[in-house]
Amino acid sequence: MNTTLILQQFLNGLAIGSVYAIFALGYTLVFSILRVINFAHGAIFTLGAYFTYMLLGARFGFNGVFANLALPFSLPFPLALLVGALLSGLVGVVVERLAFRPLRTRGADPLLTLVSSLGVAVALVNLIQYLVGAEIYTYPPRVLGSLPAAVNFGTSTLPVPVRTVQIIIFAVSMVIVVLLTYLINGTKIGKALQAVSEDATTASLLGIDTDRLILFTFFLSGFLGGVAGTLVGLSVSINGPYFGISYGLKGLAVIVLGGLGDIPGAVLAGFLIGLVESFVPAQYVAYKDAVAFALLFAMLLFRPQGLLGRAVVQKV
Amino acid sequence: MPPTWEMTEEEIRARRVPVDEQRVLDVRHMTRQFGGLLAVSNVSFVVEKGEIFGLIGPNGAGKTTLFNLITGLIQPTSGQLYFRGEEYTGQRPHYIAQKGIARTFQNIRLFGSLSALENVKIARHTHTFGGIFGLIAGVLNLPPAPEDERKTTARAMELLEMVGLAERAHVQARNFAYGDQRRLEIARALALEPRLLLLDEPAAGMNAQEKQGLSDFIRMLRDKFSITILLIEHHVPLVMGLCDRIAVLDFGQLIALGDPRRVQHDPAVIEAYLGDEG
Repeated sequence: MNTTLILQQFLNGLAIGSVYAIFALGYTLVFSILRVINFAHGAIFTLGAYFTYMLLGARFGFNGVFANLALPFSLPFPLALLVGALLSGLVGVVVERLAFRPLRTRGADPLLTLVSSLGVAVALVNLIQYLVGAEIYTYPPRVLGSLPAAVNFGTSTLPVPVRTVQIIIFAVSMVIVVLLTYLINGTKIGKALQAVSEDATTASLLGIDTDRLILFTFFLSGFLGGVAGTLVGLSVSINGPYFGISYGLKGLAVIVLGGLGDIPGAVLAGFLIGLVESFVPAQYVAYKDAVAFALLFAMLLFRPQGLLGRAVVQKV
Repeated sequence: MPPTWEMTEEEIRARRVPVDEQRVLDVRHMTRQFGGLLAVSNVSFVVEKGEIFGLIGPNGAGKTTLFNLITGLIQPTSGQLYFRGEEYTGQRPHYIAQKGIARTFQNIRLFGSLSALENVKIARHTHTFGGIFGLIAGVLNLPPAPEDERKTTARAMELLEMVGLAERAHVQARNFAYGDQRRLEIARALALEPRLLLLDEPAAGMNAQEKQGLSDFIRMLRDKFSITILLIEHHVPLVMGLCDRIAVLDFGQLIALGDPRRVQHDPAVIEAYLGDEG
């Protein structure tokens, strides 16, 4: 590998890693409050990609209920991304009300909640297939507008071209990470989220409506999933209704690597996995997904508390 | 049944339940069963405004269960709860807290990763502009959020000042010494601006001198904030010297109720305590 290729792969790794990070933050937020993995998160990621596709005014394919349909209007990409993410957030809210809250009020085992969310994931994926079919959708090229297709990070003699799309997804993801960090650490609702994640019972005795905060958390989580889905869709196209499943699993590797419920850890782990994947040699690229899980196993063996976590002292 | 349009003004007024401010807490026939065990059995008592009311009894008598019932953490099997004349049986904890009942825990429950100041500010949430617009205003720092924030911080600092922790307002709660954590937990409970404060074994882990100081502190709280106090305590001399009235629980049942002297000489109470130690 020569230097320009290394640099190019490094930049691509940063871009995809930043998407892994925001996607994994969606898992992390819910986990830190409820101590449950929301398996529907991967399906919401997929939905977000389709929402944005639809809002861009692009036409659906020949299969499914929405065959050959397109919205009568077309939103510019930034707006489509935002509205698509908001819709994904609302789906997150619905998932909480239908699959999580009823079990929580009954005091059900967290394992049941996990299975329930897995059920929602399967239902959502099937719904997508029913509505828009299983074909691959590519975002219309006009998304980039008049921007060039690639930007050169090297010199004219030693070019290091990086696709503009990769730069966009990196920029959007970083903005989201900064905003989320501000929300968690700099606002009163963020403090309330921290309090609920530490001790929900005590928070409720201080007048905090924990159910509403949980709803808000699912909205945020769905929003992050929707943004991530759109960005990946933009980068590599929407690979059918099951497109979110492999990212969903990879997201799990990211949060375990980062330490469950650890926000800075999830961001770091997202970048790490993105970078490592981008350096998988071309002839082994089919085995790229295995890399994330190899890292996961190594982590569980040698550092189960996560990248940034302190060793947990066993409580008596 | 809600009032209807056919009713006269007088009829509607007559049906309104008067808010009985004198009876701050009215516990009626409170019963809670855990499987075959009656943790609290048909307990009734009234805590009057401005009282320091003690709840004592041997270990496992049902005192903390009663606190959990009063604050809505668990629901009664039967019985009713009234706060200032208004029934609130079956309400959720955050609603009861917002109505004005605050508590501390026997095993202190602070948010260890948050600072002392943040711990206190959390309890001020309900006193700031809320709802979806409050959320948006808070995130974007639009009015009234900055003003709310300033007032919240000022009030929280006053409370920390009062318990002597103002200099360490920005230290994480988990780094405080045991006694300081107790005082921080009380400051946090007071930040809710409660009318009734429930203290679960406030003297646990304190030495004799600290216990004396605690009595003065609790009286000061009652007078300064014009609140009513209901406390669980094991240390009998402290309870006798501090409380206006005392209720004694044994095996989930109320076995005595009255002023400290009378309760102390009650044969049933002596039996319960001697039986416990023997």
